[in-house]
Amino acid sequence: MLLPFASWIHNTSISLLLQQQVAWLWPFCETLHFAGLALLLGVAGMFDLRLMGFMKRVPISVVKEFMPWALVGFTLNLLTGLIFVVSQPAQYFGNPTWWLKVTFLIIAGVNAFIFETAYGRRAAALPAGEDTPTPLKIIAAVSLISWAGVLWAGRMLPFLGAGVGAGL
Amino acid sequence: MEEFLLRLQESDFGVWVTSAPTIFGPDVYATILMLHTVGLAMIVGPAWVLDVRLLGYGARLPVEALRGAFRIMWIGFFINASTGIALFISEADDKGLRWIFWVKLASIALALVVTSRLRRAVFDGAVAPDVAPPRARSLAKASLLLWLVAITAGRLMAYVK
Repeated sequence: MLLPFASWIHNTSISLLLQQQVAWLWPFCETLHFAGLALLLGVAGMFDLRLMGFMKRVPISVVKEFMPWALVGFTLNLLTGLIFVVSQPAQYFGNPTWWLKVTFLIIAGVNAFIFETAYGRRAAALPAGEDTPTPLKIIAAVSLISWAGVLWAGRMLPFLGAGVGAGL
Repeated sequence: MEEFLLRLQESDFGVWVTSAPTIFGPDVYATILMLHTVGLAMIVGPAWVLDVRLLGYGARLPVEALRGAFRIMWIGFFINASTGIALFISEADDKGLRWIFWVKLASIALALVVTSRLRRAVFDGAVAPDVAPPRARSLAKASLLLWLVAITAGRLMAYVK
């Protein structure tokens, strides 16, 4: 099922266009991907630490004001990541480590969604100086671990499982 | 110099880095590369948060609350100095003399100078001021840029021959 899908993407006009791009497009996108990673993890990591009980004197809503920067980092990485996948679909679909990365991304996303929908208002109303409730600490820990997982799997892509789907 | 770099790369340690397996990945090399990226996030992430705050973004956040950022950055720097040295040894002859590597080292050295000046300009007193002095703003801009250059040069080491 993956093979036809990968080769379909590979033959789309956008993929063909990207494949014929200047040689520096790929390293350029990789550089942006690393800068975006630092921005995303720096800001989201600070927010997670606040949820875990660090910087208690600062209201959670104030720390959250920095989140647009995390979103900038995430958008940067989503766009550059899509460029990688669309130009070389088989290289990613055929690599189990990439699916692991996607799994960690989904966990991070669902976790953030749970925070927003179920705890967002409670967190914003929490007075400064008060200890954060356990569910918030768990959400923060899941977030940190899943982003670490995204980074680990992402960095391992060329080294782990790259050969598995070589024929795909 | 060439001969010295080759001897480093072919030393027991250099060979171990590129061949021994670990629990995190297929070999020490991949694991160290991954840790080098973790360290990058621990240095540049907090640095950029501090920089944008000093440039006026998120002004409701007391600058004093970011004093702890330096501890995370130090841990990150320790990780990246150690993993960086290990990577250097394992690829000394292949990459040690490339000009892009010197760009990376120079930008990191400058970024460290800027960061320590920034710390003195903002966090020397008991409580950091919430409006950054002009000097601190210039240092914050330099820090933003220098870390971006360091990341760029680091990534391009895989491409520039």
